[in-house]
Order: sequence, then structure tokens, then C-alpha cells
Amino acid sequence: MNSTVVTYLSQSKEFTNTVAWLSKALGFDATSMVAFIIFAIGALIVVGALATIGGLGTYAERKISADLQMRQGPNRVGPYGILQFLADGVKMILKEDIIPAQADKFTFILAPFLCMIGVFATLAVVPFSSGLMLTDINVGVFYLVGMASLVGVGVFLGGYSSNSKWSMLGGMRGASQIISYEIPATITIVSMVLIAGGLSFKTLINGQGGLPHEWYILHNPFAFIGFFVYFIAALAETNRAPFDLPEAESELVSGYHTEYSGMRFGLFALAEYIEVFVVCGVAVALFLGGYKVPFDLGSGHIFTEKLGLDSMLAQNIGQLLELGAFFTKTLALYYVVIWVRWTLPRLRVDQLMTLCWKYLTPIALFNLLGMAVWMYAFDGRSIFSLIFNSAVSAAGHH
Amino acid sequence: MISLGSYLAISFALFVCGILVMIARKNIIAMLLGIELILNASALNFAAYTKFVNNNLDGHILSLFIIVIAAAEASVGLGIVIRFFQLRESIHIDDAATLQN
Amino acid sequence: MFTNTLFLLSAALTIGGALAVVYSHNLMHACLYLLASLFGVAGLYAVIGADFLAATQLVVYAGGVVILMLFAIMLTGGTGNRINRYGLEKIASMGNKKTYFFAGFAGIITSLIILKIIASVLRAQPANKVLEANETTVNKLGVLLATDHILAFEISSVLLLGALIGAAVISRPRKERHD
Repeated sequence: MNSTVVTYLSQSKEFTNTVAWLSKALGFDATSMVAFIIFAIGALIVVGALATIGGLGTYAERKISADLQMRQGPNRVGPYGILQFLADGVKMILKEDIIPAQADKFTFILAPFLCMIGVFATLAVVPFSSGLMLTDINVGVFYLVGMASLVGVGVFLGGYSSNSKWSMLGGMRGASQIISYEIPATITIVSMVLIAGGLSFKTLINGQGGLPHEWYILHNPFAFIGFFVYFIAALAETNRAPFDLPEAESELVSGYHTEYSGMRFGLFALAEYIEVFVVCGVAVALFLGGYKVPFDLGSGHIFTEKLGLDSMLAQNIGQLLELGAFFTKTLALYYVVIWVRWTLPRLRVDQLMTLCWKYLTPIALFNLLGMAVWMYAFDGRSIFSLIFNSAVSAAGHH
Repeated sequence: MISLGSYLAISFALFVCGILVMIARKNIIAMLLGIELILNASALNFAAYTKFVNNNLDGHILSLFIIVIAAAEASVGLGIVIRFFQLRESIHIDDAATLQN
Repeated sequence: MFTNTLFLLSAALTIGGALAVVYSHNLMHACLYLLASLFGVAGLYAVIGADFLAATQLVVYAGGVVILMLFAIMLTGGTGNRINRYGLEKIASMGNKKTYFFAGFAGIITSLIILKIIASVLRAQPANKVLEANETTVNKLGVLLATDHILAFEISSVLLLGALIGAAVISRPRKERHD
């Protein structure tokens, strides 16, 4: 069985007590019902938390861009303007919901929901921490890539259904950009799967350690190049600057979501911000050690041995530390994404396609080959272990 | 409820729907949708047999190859459709009847 | 209980999507119903423990083939019922009652043939054995693809290369020669 939130929580006494009490009260074995309820509550918590992070992402973007441009940014609504995203949300909900008369109503309404479904379905496998991850299916990374490609369908439908020239152009450009950049991203993910030996996120993260020299990014030079290829490809996949031609404000009058107003537009924007978070989370899990805390603090064993705490409590503290590590790394990458947006100019459509097909895809393929050769030649050891071992053996000879 | 019979019934329904689409529609792309349904029905069939009767993984390999071949065939078929549209300005299957009679 | 629920939901999505593809009048909507049907098939794969197959179905079909169909619909004139270049429309391109009548006839004949073949399996009582826990198929599929089925693997890669080049060559823009 896969390890899920339920298998983690089932180690605690409260879980077994609750199950026993419910079984007595209802007459049948209540394990699966309690599991279902825990999954439902967990899913609600994750969705709520990430929607808030998406909203705060808009606030963070405005503040960071203001900082880069030497101005203030929002500072009126709430302390330091932090409630700005709530004000934006209220504004969007109160706007009039306009559907163009010639638009294809079914696809017009469906497109933002397809984007949202694609992004929220990936949240089920994002590795927040080893125990509190919603589920750890054996094909985790593959499933995430598959669900993220639903966003492309949503973008295309948004462009098509609005029945206007700007939207159609923006939709086609956006969809072709998304499907083109899926290729170097997936090839890089496959080359990292080669090191780890499995597609599940736990396998990928357990192969890394807490300290930077144990991360996969410093495992061998191909992984290092792979990180940058994946980062660029994933930025382009989320339609994020400098690849945001489909929604270019100065050129296409906002591209594929021109005709969307109010909350429908809000759904598109929220899906984009949450997708950036998920993509950063995947990059952290693949390359930067995921949720691993340095010195193995995340497993809670040190707390049980040194401080003599109860096993479940020690594990919970370890989980909190792992959550903190994951969020710190992911939010650091999120900051880099926002920083890149306000620093680099936008790429033209042909430059975009050239970058993908003539540069990133060959580099990703070369990476895959190099990674396979490295794993065969050096038995899968990282460059640090090779240097240390050769230093030790050289010292031993003298 | 989950048994070989139920899976065969579902793949049978998919196959018949695919045949209905292929014969009833006259739009070439709509007929390609029917082809995808038929290929999916056969892949589902292979996977069900290998789970309930053989209990090994040969059917999964066959289904994987069916998916690969369906993707390749869809891309080439749509390339042909686009070329046909560039030449004839229509994607109605009755306009592709020049070799008839 | 959960596998049964998942099985029923996926089966409903699959067959509902397939029926909607048969009877819808808009080509774009038919593509979306096909997407829903393919999602249902992926769910059915997941129920019998073919996790890698389900993920591949999602990646290839939802992210690849459906977007390809949508692009082709856009590049060939969209969903308007086109009148062909002679100005007449003999048979509506999405089918009218006559084509559906013939299709129904063909469907009945096909179903009778297939039902005769699979009747014995459908009639057999389900053994009601408890399904054993599904284990991951990723490693085993990888080993099988590299050892037993390596020839098919290599040939399919050549096939994909041929399809890539062929599709690009067939539909590339050509220079119009004005005499």
C-alpha cells in the first residue's frame, strides 16, 4: 500500500481510539470511513492553504515588483497591505459576469474550471512532508505531469470560446507554448528519475539528504544543468514571464482571458499562481532535497532519544520541521520566479519556440544520455562521494 | 462487481460507440474521434484480461503499445486532414471520393 | 468499497462520454466529451492496479492527442457546418437521421457478433474472490520492456520517428506558385 496521510496518522493512539469508538457506535468496521473523512479534511485543508498561498502570491508579486522598482506597493489594506488579495477577491466577485453573445457558452464556462481542475489535481501528490503528504502514489511525478497538461486544454478553450481575434491568437500561442515546453521538462524529470530509481516522490526525496551536498542538484554536472533546464521549461509552461506572450498586457490586450470578467478571470489567475507554486515544489523535490531537514531532524528519532519525548509527538515535531524546510525552499524559488518576471524582457513568439526546440530539447536529451552514462560508469554515486572516496584512498596509500 | 465480465461489457460499449461515430459522422475529424474510442476499447480489453485471467503484465505492455500507436496514428491522420483541407477547402468525407467510379 | 465506487464513477464517465461523442452536434464539444471518456478509462485502469498505464493514458491522451485534435479543428476551419466548394451540402457533416439509421444498423450487427464471442464470459458468475492488493507495476514494466519486448520497443520508437517526420512533411506550408 502507498503511504498516505492516513497511514501516518494511524500510528497515533487517537486514531485507533476513534476507529474503535465509531465501530462500536455504527456496527461495522469504521476504518475506511475514518480514512475517507481524514482524506476529505486533508484535501480541504490543502486546497484552502494553497488558495491562500495563491492569493498571497499576487500580493507578494506586487510588493516585490515595487521593491525592484523603488516604489511602495500596496500598503493600505491591513498591516503592510497584506489583506490586499482579499480586497482584490471581493472586487472580482462583485464584478458583472459577462458572457459574449456569440461565445460558445459551454466551453466558455468550462475553460477556467479545466485550468483549476488541472492544477488542484496535482496537489494530491505534492510532497509537503513525509507524513502529511496527501498520498504518495507510485507514479507520482508522471501523474503530476499528466494533470498539468490539462491546463493547456483550458487555455486553448478559453481562447477559442471567446470568439474574438485577440483571444484566439492568445489561446493558440498559449497552448502551443505549453505543449512545446512540456518536452524538455518531462525529459529532465526522467533523467532525475534515473538517479532515484522510482517515480514516486518519496523515492525521489529519500535519495537525497538534508545538507546541500546531498541534494541531487550537486549530484553530478548533468543534474546541475538539468535544474536550469527544468526551471526554464516549467516557467514557460506556466505562462509566466518572460514567456507570458499569451497574456501579454501590452500586445494582445490580455490574450486568452480578454473576454473573461470577474470571478472567471480570477479562477484563471489563481490557477496560474498555484501552478507556479506546484512547479517550484516539484523543482524542490527533484533537485533541492524536498522536505529533508539537515542532520536528519525530520524523522523525530533524535527527539525520542535525546529528549525522551513520546514517539508520536516527536514524529509530529519532525513533520513540522519538514514542512518548514519544504515551504522555505519553495518560497525561495517562488521569489526567484517573481524576480525573473520583473527583470527580463518578454520573448517573441518565434524566439520562444526557437528556445524550446533548438536549445532546451537537445540539451535535455544530452542530459538524459549523460546521466545514464554517469549512472552506469560510476555506479550512481554522486560527485562528492567520488571525491571523498578518492581522497580517502589516496590518503590511505601514503 | 469488478470482474472480467464488467470490464468486457464496458469495452464492448466503447467499441460499439466508436463504430456508431465512425459511420454516422461525415466529418473526418469526428471519425478520428471514433477511432480513438475503438483503440481505447481494445486497450482496456487487454488490460482486463491480463489482470483477471493471466495475472502477469503482458497485457499492460500491449496496452502501452496501443496507446503509443494511437498517438502516432492520430498525428499522421490529422496531418493528412490538414493537407486535405489545404487542397479542397472542406473536411467532408464525401469530397474525398475522386477515385470513386 | 472505495474501489467499487471508483469503478462505478469511472465506468459512468467513460460510457457517458462515449455516448455524448456519438450524439453531440458540435465538433468541439465532441472533443471535450472524448477527453472525459479518456479520463474514465484512466480511472478504470487505476482500479485494476495498472498505475503506470493510467498515468500514461493521462499524459498521452489528455495532454497530447486531445490538444492535437483541438488544434486540427482550429486549423481546418472550426466547427461551422461548411458548405463544400460547390455550394451544396449533400449530407450534413455531423450526421443526420439517415446516417444515424445506418450507423445504428451497423452497430446492432457488430454488437450481435461481439456478444456471441464474449457471451460465455458475461454469463459466468463472478468468482467473488477478494482482489489482492495492487502492487506497483512500474519496475516490472520497465524490466519487461527492456528484456522481453525490446524489439517491439525499438520498432515503436522508429514508428514514432516516422510519424513525427511524416506529419511534419505532409502538413508543412508550401510556397504558392503563381504562373
